[in-house]
Formats: sequence, C-alpha cells, structure tokens
Amino acid sequence: MRSFSRKFSNVIKTAIVVVLGGTALGLLAFGPRATDEFPPGRVVVDYWEKWTGVEESAMRAIVDEFNDTIGREKGIFVRYLSTSSIEQKTLIATAAGVPPDIAGLYNQNLAQFASMDALEPLDAMAAARGITPDYYKKVFWDECCFEGRLYGLVSTCYSIALYYNREIFQQRAQSLRARGLDPNRAPRTIAELDAYAQALDVVDPASGRIISAGYLPLEPGWYLNYTCLWFGGRWWDDLNKRFTFTDPGVIRAYEWVTSYSKRLGKQAVSEFRAGFGTFDSPQNAFLAGTVAMVQQGAFLANFIHNQKPSLDGKWAAAPFPSVDPTLPHLKDVTYCNCDVLVIPRGAKHKAEAFEFIAFVNRQDIMEKLADSHCKISPLAKVSEGFLTNHRNPYIRVFDDLAASPNAHPTEPVPIQAEVDAEMNNFVQRLAMLEVSPQQGLEEMQRRLQAKYDAFMADQRERRKRQDG
Amino acid sequence: MASVRRQLRASVIGLAFVSPWLIGFLVFTLVPVALSLYYSFCSYSLLQPPLFKGLENYRTLATDPVFWQALRNTIVYGAVALPLGMLAALCVAMLLNSKISGVSIYRTIVFLPSLVPAVASAMLWLWLFNSKLGLINTTLVALGVSEPPQWLASPRWAMPALILMSLWGIGNTVVIYLAGLQDVPRELYEAAEIDGASSLRQVWHVTLPCISPVIFFNLIMGIIGTLQVFATPFILTGGGPARATYFYTMYLYDNAFSYLKMGYASAMAWVQLLIVLALTALAAWSSKRWVHYQGK
Amino acid sequence: MTTGTRHPQTTLATTRLQTRVAVATLPTIEPRRRRTRGIGRRICIHLALLAICAAAILPFLWMVSTSLKTLEATLAYPPRWWPDPIQWQNYIEVFRNPKANFLLWTRNTLIIAVLGVAGTTLSSALVAYGFAKLRFFGRRTLFVIMLSTMMLPFPVTMVSLFAMFRWLGDTTGIAFLGTFKPLWLPAWFGSAFNIFLLRQFFMTIPNELSEAARIDGCSELGIFWRIILPLSKPALAVVALFAFMGIWNDFLGPLVYLQRPEQFTLALGLQNFQSKAGGTSWHLLMAASTLVILPAILLFFLAQRTFIEGIATTGTKG
Repeated sequence: MRSFSRKFSNVIKTAIVVVLGGTALGLLAFGPRATDEFPPGRVVVDYWEKWTGVEESAMRAIVDEFNDTIGREKGIFVRYLSTSSIEQKTLIATAAGVPPDIAGLYNQNLAQFASMDALEPLDAMAAARGITPDYYKKVFWDECCFEGRLYGLVSTCYSIALYYNREIFQQRAQSLRARGLDPNRAPRTIAELDAYAQALDVVDPASGRIISAGYLPLEPGWYLNYTCLWFGGRWWDDLNKRFTFTDPGVIRAYEWVTSYSKRLGKQAVSEFRAGFGTFDSPQNAFLAGTVAMVQQGAFLANFIHNQKPSLDGKWAAAPFPSVDPTLPHLKDVTYCNCDVLVIPRGAKHKAEAFEFIAFVNRQDIMEKLADSHCKISPLAKVSEGFLTNHRNPYIRVFDDLAASPNAHPTEPVPIQAEVDAEMNNFVQRLAMLEVSPQQGLEEMQRRLQAKYDAFMADQRERRKRQDG
Repeated sequence: MASVRRQLRASVIGLAFVSPWLIGFLVFTLVPVALSLYYSFCSYSLLQPPLFKGLENYRTLATDPVFWQALRNTIVYGAVALPLGMLAALCVAMLLNSKISGVSIYRTIVFLPSLVPAVASAMLWLWLFNSKLGLINTTLVALGVSEPPQWLASPRWAMPALILMSLWGIGNTVVIYLAGLQDVPRELYEAAEIDGASSLRQVWHVTLPCISPVIFFNLIMGIIGTLQVFATPFILTGGGPARATYFYTMYLYDNAFSYLKMGYASAMAWVQLLIVLALTALAAWSSKRWVHYQGK
Repeated sequence: MTTGTRHPQTTLATTRLQTRVAVATLPTIEPRRRRTRGIGRRICIHLALLAICAAAILPFLWMVSTSLKTLEATLAYPPRWWPDPIQWQNYIEVFRNPKANFLLWTRNTLIIAVLGVAGTTLSSALVAYGFAKLRFFGRRTLFVIMLSTMMLPFPVTMVSLFAMFRWLGDTTGIAFLGTFKPLWLPAWFGSAFNIFLLRQFFMTIPNELSEAARIDGCSELGIFWRIILPLSKPALAVVALFAFMGIWNDFLGPLVYLQRPEQFTLALGLQNFQSKAGGTSWHLLMAASTLVILPAILLFFLAQRTFIEGIATTGTKG
C-alpha cells in the first residue's frame, strides 16, 4: 500500500517536472521576444504612451496611419508601447541613458524634466515646420514651453467645465424653484453652486447617510490643485518665482472645499465616496446619477456615451462658476491640461521622432485624434466641421473656454513631482478634516519654497561651474 | 623554505577560489558603498554631474517632516508586526510540534502563503481589503458589523491592515521555529514533568531557553527585513492615505527615482544603515542575557 | 516572515553564532513521537490548527474563485463564493490581453532566473569551497567581512549601483542599464548567504576524501568538481531553489533596472497590469496573480523536503 502511494506521488512529481520544465524550455526557445516584427529597413522609433482602452486604440490608429503613409515614404516605423507610471519610467530611463524616442507625458511633467536637462528642445525643428506660437491657442503653447523654450508638442488637450444632469434638475425642479433657483440653467457663481448642491442633496435624516449629492468638490477631485483659479487666487508667482500658497484666494478655495465635508460630515462623505464605481464604468458617480454635477474635461462625454448611453442628451455643460464672474479676471475661467509628446535627451532617433510629432500636429490629424478622444484641439485654427460633428454636443463651450483670456495652464514649477505629492497629501488631509486650510497651506508654503530655493541654488551653482 | 613556498602556493589557490566573491565584493559592494557615501554629501540627479554640498542633506533630513513621518511609520510597523509575527509563529510552531495525525498536511498549508511573490500577494490582499466587495468586509457585515472599517482608504486602519497582512506570511518563521523545537532534548521535558511543572511552566523554563538562539536569529532577520519593507505598501496603498502607510524605503525610492534627488536618497540610505547597525548591536548585546547556546 | 524585498543581494544576517559542525546531513523534520495526552487536548489542537489553516488557505480560494468569475459577478454585492458561470476564458484572456504580455514577461523572468541560478550556485560553491577547505592568507578576515555584508540594506547601494552601471556602460560600450545584466550579473560573483550555507555544509565532508585525492595528484579544482560537488547535491539543491524563488519574487530590482515595457519580469508586469488607470478588472488580475503563484507552489510540492529543510537549516545553523 505504501509503495503504491509512493509510486503515485512519484508519478505526480514527474508530471509536474515535465509540465514546468517543458513550458520553461518551450518559452525560452520559442517564446515571444522583445524585438517584435516590424518591417525591415525602417528606423524604429519607440513611443511610450500612458493610455489604455478607448484612448489607446485611438492613438494606435494614428500611429498605424503614420506608418502606412509618411512612415513608408521616409522609412520610419513608430512602435507604440503602453506603460504605466510613465513619468517615472521615462525619467529613470533617461537617467539610465536608454530613453524612448518619444514619450507621451502629462504636461505637469514638462517643467520638471526640462529643468533637469532631460528633454531635447524642439524650437528649431518646430519652426522649420511652421509650427510657431500663433499656430496654437496661447494657453497650450505656454504649457509646452519652459523658460521660453519649446520642449514638447500637444497630442491631446482639454479644458474643464461644469457638467450637470438636466434630468435630475428637472426631476427636482420643485425643490430648486422653492429656493429661487432656475432648473433650466447651470449655476453661475460659487454661491449659486452651493445653493443648487444643497437643494439637490438627498440625505437620510436618521443616519446622515448621503444617498445622492448635488455636488461634491472631492468628486472626481482631479483638479483640486487648481480650485484657487475660480476664487481669483494663484499659488505660484512665475514673475518672482515664489510660491503663494497663502494667497487669500487660495485659502478661500480650500475653505470652500472643506465646507462640503463639514456640512455633510466627513464620515458620511468618506463612505459615500467609497461606494463610487471606477471612472471608466457605469458606476461612475456622475454616470450613475449619484452626483448631479461634476467638474470635468471635455472627454467625459465619451465615457458617458460608451458606459451609460441612456444618459446621452440628458446632460449639459457650462463654464464652471467662479466667485464673481462680473470681474474681468474671473469670467470664463478654466484650467487647461494636455498630454505632450516629448523627445528625451539621448534619444537615438530625434529627427524621425519629430516627424511623427509633427504629423500628429497636422490640423486634420490633430482634429481626428481630438475627436476620437472627445477632446478639443490645441490649434488656433479649428475647422467648423470639427465643432459641428464632435461627439460632445457642448464642445463649443470647452473650445471657447480654452480660447478665453482666463484659460490657465499648469504652473511651470520645476519641482512639480514634489509639489504634486505635497498637494495630494494636503487634499487628503483636508478631506479628513485633519488640518485647517490655513494651517496646511502655510506648511506647504514653507516646505515647498525651501525645496524650490535649494533646487534653484543647485542649478545656479551648476551653471556657474559649467560656464566658469 | 619549501613549506613557505607551499604555503604561498596554497594561498594563491585559495584566493583563486575565493576570487569571484572578492571581485564581486569590490565592484558591487565596496565601490557602490563608498560612492553612496560620497553622494550622500552631494546633490546629484544623474542627469547632471554631482555637486558637493557637505552636510546639507543630513541637515535637511533632520528637519524634514516627511522623513520623520516615514521613519515613524516604519518603526511603528516594526514594533507591532515583528513581535506579533514572532509570537504567532511560535504558537503555531508549538501546535505543529504535537503528535497528532496529519501534522505534515497542516504544516504544508501553513507554509504555502510564504511562497507567494510579494506582488501577487499584494494584489490578492488589495482585493480582500476592498471596502465594499472584499472578503473581509463582507464577512464582517455578515457577522453583524454594520460599518466595517474602510481599511486601505482610511488613515486609521491602513496600517493595521498591513500588519494583518504580514501575519499571513509567517510560514517561513514557523518552519524555523519548528526545527528549533525539534532540537529540544526530551530529557529536559521529562525532568520538568517529574518536578511537577505544568505545561506553561515547561514552556517558560525549558522550551524558550532552548530555542532562544532561534528566536534571536529571527529577531535579527526581522529587524533588517522590516526596516526595508517596500513592495507591499507600494502596491497596496502607495503610501497613503495622507502618508499613513508611507514607509522609509518608499520615501527613499521616491527621492531617488521620482524627484531624482539621488544625493538625498543616499543620505537616507546611510541613516537606514546606521539604524540597522544600532538595532542589531542592541539585540546582540541584550542577547548575552537571554540567549542560551546549547553546549557542543 | 515575508521581508520587503528579496533582491538577490538581500541576505539574512548573522552575528556571533556557534558553528555546528557535527551534522552530516540536513536535519529531518518528522515530529518527535511525544505522546500528546488526552483526547480533549488533541481535539483542541486539531481545532486550532484547522482555524489557522483556514485563515491561511481562504485567501487562495477567494483568489481562484474571483479569477473564474465574469466582471459583473466580481462587482456583485453581496459576493458569492461559487462563480456562476465559471469563466475559464479569463485565463486565456490574460495571455491574449495586449496590455499584459504575459508570455513575454514569463520568458524574461526565466532568462534572468536561469542565468541567476546558474551563477549563484556555481560561484557560491567555488567560494564556499575556498573558505571551507583551503587555507590562505587572510581567510578569517575575509570571511568575517563577507558575513557582515549580509547586513547591508539594498537601498544603500541601489542608487550608486545604478550610477555605476551607467558609467560602466558609457566607458566600456557594453550596455548594462536597459538590459537584464544588472539583475543576474552580480549573482555570478557569489552571494554571501549562499556561500555561508555551502561552507557550513562543505565543512561536514570529511577531509580524508580530499586528502586521498590530493595524494593521487588531483588538482584542487578537480577535487572540487569530482568529489565535493557530487556529495553536496542536497545543499546545492537548496541554494538553487532559494535563488530561483528569490528571482521569481523580486520586485524592487526589476522596478529600478527595467524601464522598457518589453523587458518587464512577471512581478513588474503584474504590477503594471494593475496600476493602469481606469477600471480594475479584478477577475483578470486574480487570474494573472494565480498564474504567477502557480509555478512557485508546484515547485514547492516537487521539492518539499528541500524547501523545508533548507529553511530549517538557515534558522538553526544560521
């Protein structure tokens, strides 16, 4: 009996060895290799990009189009590689001396990379193609420059505005009118926004549990670093190169953010948010109707159409309200963000890489890409067809906002990664009501100003040694 | 004369055998360690040449609140997870040391979780700790807890979640304790029994002293390992929420590879080394009092 | 206890310890036949162990259960244990998924593993033989130095190794960063922990054998290759096994040295798969995780004794 079970276990063991060993050998010998098949005789340009899902397919289509037309003509093959943590990986790869030829970064990364000499300046190559500052809307050109030099060009871009659920507004028309609010339009000032939000909140009176909310600054909370813009404050003074976190507008902005957590209760808000689905799903708070208004970019329309088509036609977009839109600097305020294509320093095929970047910036290609991502075009000139046939029926709102004089770019701070880390931490603590806005902002001001000064002192020292 | 030559020849051969390690030590250990000491006195981004700054990095560290928070988190984690893990592992090992049927199956099952790669384990626990759909919270709700903790999304519960998770992988330690328990001479237990000692007293006076070298070994291992915790919190929480689970090595990694402040990161690494040395020395010094080596 | 990293250079520490020489083979771990008195006591122990094993194995079962569900089923509340329908396609989907080039990652990991394991085993054995059997000038000092390197935390050398590999690449023209070399090359220079383990083992092999061979005119290398190594198969198996597991599980090393997505190892690829923005497909993620864990578990069942005895040895002899 024992020898039988011993034999049995031996058989199993041999089987495992054969399976594991066989698979291992098979993979080593015949498995996929890092060098994919690409047409011989072409220069291979490695393009690292962050997108997944629908946005990835859209860009891949453009890459394929390039490879089939200009790529074939000039012997270039662009290889699209999807990667996460793209800013970190690109930075390390550049430091390692093995960067990709094109990297699709967030525009927040541009200042940091440029200040560390990690990017190739594109001024000359762009000018040779006729891509000059007036080719773009001003806000996007500013976002691609650092200290006066061009370091990247836009792939896709957007501005942000207020989305509101017209169906919910109509359903709760009575409660809105009772407070003197018009259910047929969006709120126009912050005070109105608060009033609409309160009118639309549905809270269980017994437990304090939030069932649905009119508005919640923390949802989606992607742009909380720039909330101050609608309150007339800035946290970076580019002229004097100083942080201004304790600017009154900035403090007011974050007090406004915490006012919602205070009013509804931080525990209730936290549990409410825990129940939200992920962004790209029908359980997205706005898509599911759990939140009636959100601050988001033009691309949300795409996600609505894909994930919750029943919501199509039932929503609208309007400029996000500011504290006092009668003041010239607070009218039509928006924050603009973009994805940039850069050429890291040490890239092997710079000229070929720029061929692709210039291709993406051709008006027809740019509009095709922008349309498939459901975003706006960064170019100054926009074709009528683009606006009329766009997936987002309110695209003109976003386009006009981007062209407005109060369209703000990302602040060009070199230590952006640390600023982001600090501000994210700050917002998380605000949400927990762990710290008061005044206190938190003062801390950030001290810390970040010290870091910035240290960084700039080093850079000056380096430049001195280089020149001297 | 001939013996000196023979000794010399023997030395050459010996060193030849040892040469791979010697070369490796010089190239992959000594030089990088010296370099890292130098970098800790510089500002260095790898993209631009290093800039000597004296003690500035260390001075900044001393006043950097994020550094202190990361250090505090790491020490709190270590101070709780390490003793808890060792105690749990010891108890499980003692259970497994009993003569009952099927012990080897139990032992296998207990050991399995420590085979899991850190990344896969982190994914699994990320799913288990999901505040709405995770197994843990749904079980708690089923047991009647109306508002289970948010775990990884809550600054108060994220650290306990990580500590809980570390208990899952004690299989390694259990096996080491088990081997140590096997080595306790039976005569000592019998003698204690004759003296009328209860089971608990037997454990205190016989078992623990005999396996004290093993405990000591696990303590040293644990100190070094815990101070370097990285993969698990990196994947589970990314350091949040609000840096509640921001560990020392994560801040080091961020400084080196997100902010490209390699000089600052090197300074952090040296501080870490000094802490490890200090704690190890402390443990070694205290070991004189409670570690009994069986004579042989 | 799971440590945070298991980079091939991360090792276990020793301080002053007695070397126990009188062990010819690795210890066995059959429980001593000490009678556990009383049926009540036995039942209690069984119950306790059952509870502990349940805690140990439930997460695995939940993982497999999730890996066989459809996406809707994973999001259903309250969740159920038994997937209905059972979706085996998830596993195929993991292989075919374009953003999870699973086979490529496995192959990458295998390449590093084979090179790393071969390097560690061979070089550690060579060096251990030198420390165990040969006398040479400075042997004791070098041995102590080697032991102390086991205490060095990886972060201390992480940054400067990175810079050094960059410098090596620039000066010699052979690329190090951007290849697998930083992950397996150091293994060919011996790993302190494995050297220590093998040295302890070699010291238990009686000297008469090598003496006899020496008299017969055999060179040291010959003695090493033809006499010592064949006798050390169990110890070498332990070293190889642990080296493999270390590489299979390594995360920080690949995170630092591998940036190109087509070079990712399994550990890095899995994390990449999860961290992409957008909805997390839990069912696919759990399927991928199961696949990553499977070889480790199968290897364990294959070499149970080696595993357990290896770990025991490190603890008691370490």
